[in-house]
Amino acid sequence: MDFDLESLVHLEQTFYDFGYQDGLEHGRIHGLIEGRALGREKGFEMWEELGFYEGFAKTWRAIYVKQGKEDSRAGNHIRHLLDLISQFPKQNPSSSDSSSSLDISRLLRQIRSRYKALCSTLGAAASLRAADSADDSVEQPATRKPFVWPLEAPTQQDLSF
Amino acid sequence: MDSDWDEEVTSDLHAGEAEWTKMSSEFTNTGYREGITAGKEAALQEGFDAGFAQVGVPIGHELGLLRGIASVLAAFLSSATDQGQEEARSISSALSSIRFSDIAPRDLEAEEHAREHLEDGAPELEEIDEKKKMEDLEDMLNRLSAGKSLRADEARPTLEDLQHLRERLKNLMERLGLDVERS
Repeated sequence: MDFDLESLVHLEQTFYDFGYQDGLEHGRIHGLIEGRALGREKGFEMWEELGFYEGFAKTWRAIYVKQGKEDSRAGNHIRHLLDLISQFPKQNPSSSDSSSSLDISRLLRQIRSRYKALCSTLGAAASLRAADSADDSVEQPATRKPFVWPLEAPTQQDLSF
Repeated sequence: MDSDWDEEVTSDLHAGEAEWTKMSSEFTNTGYREGITAGKEAALQEGFDAGFAQVGVPIGHELGLLRGIASVLAAFLSSATDQGQEEARSISSALSSIRFSDIAPRDLEAEEHAREHLEDGAPELEEIDEKKKMEDLEDMLNRLSAGKSLRADEARPTLEDLQHLRERLKNLMERLGLDVERS
């Protein structure tokens, strides 16, 4: 009988490896599922806010056009706001280009303050949303990282912001 | 007698077999546990990026846009005392009650996998359940504060409701002669 002693010595390792491979595949399914659930929520949350500003700016622009009014200050804010929003990524930048120089949280701050400037120019009491997100944007970066979208430390706590 | 000797051998054989099984399953299980953790961590980012770009962003963008438009119309029309004011307000408030979970597509792969686990007897996806519970609680509080009766079957908005609201908003803008996309 051809008895391979070497393989017997490595038997424990072989069993471990066998289990590991199995677990790896199963873990991947869970990672994808959990990651998708988190990514959906985060993407929705961010772009719902940006979409609101975009709709807000575009509608005022349309109203001005319709009225034939030439408000240069409001028009200027609207142009800048829409331009900033158009620069905002629709994909998690961590996946496309990790060396990207795009400063997401800075861009978001600029968008929010441009939106508030537009609101005060329009005389519209900056909507509830402006108040909400203003508090978020100004207070939070100090206490926690504003954007965890590059999930660098994928432990439970870090992910569930 | 021979039989004594026989028995000893068989029990030894059994003991060996049991030990063998114990050893193999111990190492296999350890490997499995560590493999699961490694596999999960390696795939999280990929899943996150996919959910972010393919589902969260387009749906959020769409809903946000409609909300932004509706809120301006509601404010603008109330100052202009237009008859469209009531419509704008109604659209705006209906839009604001829509949640992501109301209109998000199902994650069929996740459901399928959860089913497989149920068959194994292990519950899964507690996080989503947590959120669902919180939202149910929110619904309940809203109904209480609105003075309405507690009815669990009060329907959440659906994707059809959203499409309907989008149509109403479009009609309102046409009536006002506003072209939001290109001006």
